[in-house]
Amino acid sequence: MDEGKLSRWPMIAITVLRVAVGWHFLYEGIAKLSSPSWSAAGYLKQARGPFAELFKWLANNPNQLANADLITMWGLTAVGVLLILGLFTRLASLGAIGFILLFYLCNPPFVGYFYSIPTEGSYLIVNKNLVELCALLVILVTGSGTFAGLDRIVHGLIRRR
Amino acid sequence: MAGDGEQDKKPAQAGNKGLGRLSRRDVLAGLSTVPALGLFGYAWNQQHKYQQAKADAAAASPGAAANVQEINIALLGAGAQGQVLTDSMLRIPGLRFRAVCDVWTEYNQKRVVNQLKKFNHSPNAYEDYREMLDKEKELDAVVIATPDFWHSRHAVDCLKAGKHVYCEKEMSNRLEGARAMVAAARDTGKLLQIGHQRRSNPRYLHCYEKLLREAKLLGRVVTISGQWNRALAPDLGAPDRYKIPEPRLKQYGFKDMHQFRNWRWYRGLGGGPIVDLGSHQIDIYGWFLGANPTGVMASGGTLYHDPATHEWYDTAMVVYDFDTPAGPVKAFYQTQTTNGSQGYFENFMGDQGTLLISESEVYGAKLYRDPNAPAWDTWVQQGYITAPKLQEIKEKTEGVTDVRESVSPDEHKVSIVLRDPYHQPHLQNFFDTVRGKGKLNCPAEVAYESAVAVLKVNEAIEAKSRLAFRPEDFRI
Amino acid sequence: MDRERTDSGVGIAARGDRFDARRFSHEAMATVFEVHAVHPDERYAAQAAQAAFELVDRLEGELSRFRPNSDIARINHLAAGGSTRVGASTMECLVIARHMFDLTAGAFDVSIGSGLPSLELNPEGFLVRATADGVQIDLGGIGKGYAVDRMADLLGEWGLERALVHGGFSSVLALEAPAGRDGWPLTLSDPADPSRVLAALTVRQMALGASGMRKGGHIVDPFTGEPARGRRAAWVAVPRPTVSASAAATDAPPPRAAAVTDALTTAFMLMSLEAIEALCNRSPGLEAWMLPEPDADLMGQVSLLHFGGNGPGYTSTSS
Repeated sequence: MDEGKLSRWPMIAITVLRVAVGWHFLYEGIAKLSSPSWSAAGYLKQARGPFAELFKWLANNPNQLANADLITMWGLTAVGVLLILGLFTRLASLGAIGFILLFYLCNPPFVGYFYSIPTEGSYLIVNKNLVELCALLVILVTGSGTFAGLDRIVHGLIRRR
Repeated sequence: MAGDGEQDKKPAQAGNKGLGRLSRRDVLAGLSTVPALGLFGYAWNQQHKYQQAKADAAAASPGAAANVQEINIALLGAGAQGQVLTDSMLRIPGLRFRAVCDVWTEYNQKRVVNQLKKFNHSPNAYEDYREMLDKEKELDAVVIATPDFWHSRHAVDCLKAGKHVYCEKEMSNRLEGARAMVAAARDTGKLLQIGHQRRSNPRYLHCYEKLLREAKLLGRVVTISGQWNRALAPDLGAPDRYKIPEPRLKQYGFKDMHQFRNWRWYRGLGGGPIVDLGSHQIDIYGWFLGANPTGVMASGGTLYHDPATHEWYDTAMVVYDFDTPAGPVKAFYQTQTTNGSQGYFENFMGDQGTLLISESEVYGAKLYRDPNAPAWDTWVQQGYITAPKLQEIKEKTEGVTDVRESVSPDEHKVSIVLRDPYHQPHLQNFFDTVRGKGKLNCPAEVAYESAVAVLKVNEAIEAKSRLAFRPEDFRI
Repeated sequence: MDRERTDSGVGIAARGDRFDARRFSHEAMATVFEVHAVHPDERYAAQAAQAAFELVDRLEGELSRFRPNSDIARINHLAAGGSTRVGASTMECLVIARHMFDLTAGAFDVSIGSGLPSLELNPEGFLVRATADGVQIDLGGIGKGYAVDRMADLLGEWGLERALVHGGFSSVLALEAPAGRDGWPLTLSDPADPSRVLAALTVRQMALGASGMRKGGHIVDPFTGEPARGRRAAWVAVPRPTVSASAAATDAPPPRAAAVTDALTTAFMLMSLEAIEALCNRSPGLEAWMLPEPDADLMGQVSLLHFGGNGPGYTSTSS
């Protein structure tokens, strides 16, 4: 939706939020790409929660695991770059939400589940992953890329008179 | 323009710079977040460089021997202690084993040569050390781990042949031998380090330099106690099929295979447990006090073992007197080979605190502050000692506090950890000095003072009375 | 039958007609190592056993992660990119551990899931390099077996061929049998009910490893990070190849049968029965016995599962 936009300062704030989230994703992606032997296997093997079996199956299946690793590494990087630049923001936001949902479900802090990955802080259902996911929802629906991002240029270029 | 980031773009107006339908504002706003990417790239680069530098520093220590000047060494004495030293030396970069010399050619010599070959050394094997000194042209240093009664001749000949020498303790089983070694080192100008390896142990160095000399944590040390208790074990034997023929044994000063394996127990060859074990710790007494003893009395005997095969004392209890600038000190030492209770340690007791230290990395060093002593907080903050682990206050079962028992003092530790085999720092110190990059932590003159103090004990046991030292006794 | 009670379920049966084996014990690696040897000279046998025990102590100093200055402790403190030099025994153990990791598809993992593949081994240079942070090695699942192998070699040097060596009965190596016998008589029992003998073996030149649920102890599954479930005990036997003179002349590392069985019993507590059977079928001489958790419905029935064919020098009777 292009009409009924928020006023300027809220949009600037949301742009800052978008760049921050993008930066985080980009760093996660590049850190994995540059680490010599990163694999999601360790993380997946520690999976808990209702989908634990699926994640563990993924960890034990070398072909699927390799695909998952590639998608994760490059996906995080791509999403990060796009969010920072504000290009294809909606698509990038959806992708980011997808990633976070997977990470969250792999280790959900539901009451009664026992952690094997030691985490900092104390969480009850809502942890940092979930907060970041909500932030991406805000970014998704407010079209910050078209306010201050390459989307604005792209929209301008393709807009029909 | 202040306003609402409207998406309703006006068609390009005349005079409006921009691309086609885009106004300049559009372009600027559109590109506004691109610099964030540049900032990311810069930050990433910085972090990458830092991590790379850290990794390089970590990789630089072992394995990367490229810049280290290689030292050609020979091992003289491939028995139990020689093998311990070899295990350490194989973890030190920049050493090239040129020769291994041992009279037990069938067993120990062959084993060590094979081990060195696995590590890509090609040492020549010798039985006669003089042949080795003649034939090995490219030898910088010799590491000696032969029986004590051979130390003097081996060390002196190696020094005179122009080699630096690392010689196991005790320097010699007799003072004349030790004196000859000091003289030879002085005359030839070559390095002679004696294997009191605690002198290079980082924890001992820390305790001596930081805790005793700088912080004076213990206050005035008045008494010391130390021991090495070793559990009962059978005499050392040898595989039947590798026995050394008698003529060769006799040629090298052994009457039979049993004496060859158990030389430490025989007069004229070794000095018994007080020399084998005690020399390490009595050396620490003198080092930490910064003084030599003024007298010694000792009681001992062959209480348990067969005197026919154990000519030296299997049990010894010793009391040294020291005169230090702070005042007189009495130091007790005990060794036995029938029971291993409490193992080995040295205990330094001062009016303000106690230091309980052992070479064993599992035990480490423990410090206790006397409750009436000044607080140790500054030293804890500086990391010299750890924060105390508070001792639990014992529950009194009777209602009355027993005034004879004092409250247990807080226990501090030292956070220095040695990650290498025990002899490695001392060997490293020797090789660093050979390369001109350090100073020996236990040169011959210093070790001589220990030897004087240690070798007197057997005399004192025999004399059954207190023997005095004169200051000249310790100097050559 | 009179028998040692052990947590691993392995014991030496003492039958009516005793043979005079001398027995020497020594505490190390948080267990009791023993040498049982048949030899006419008591003193010589004691000296040989003492030499073997001193070897175990030296190995513990290099391999134990609880010794702050051991090779393993040093490896466990490496940062990413750091490397360290280790001794020959340590490297041998790490190479075997890595091989078993690959062979069992990660079920035997001395890094307990902290990333064994990110440890680069350079066997010729005796260098170990960590390519990631946080790799922690614990050789508990292989160290005793390796020590037993080395002890057996040393006893061979001393001419004590008729001997049996073990570490806490969880790693047993039988050399030659006492004179006039086919082998050393061993029994496998349910660790939870030691009076019940499940199998009797007569072994020579064979390594036998045992893993069981010890009181308070557990085998951690590197996949889940939780204690393994579904098995009560596992035993693995591998023949000990007698090294021929020609093989000894080459640089080939001697086969470490006890180390291998030590590793396999740990792995078999976690692997599926199908995988165990497959591994036994394609490895001649490899034999395994598994004691699964009893079914809730079956009452008191203990089924001992047996995989692998009969190797040389082995006869068994199951009870």
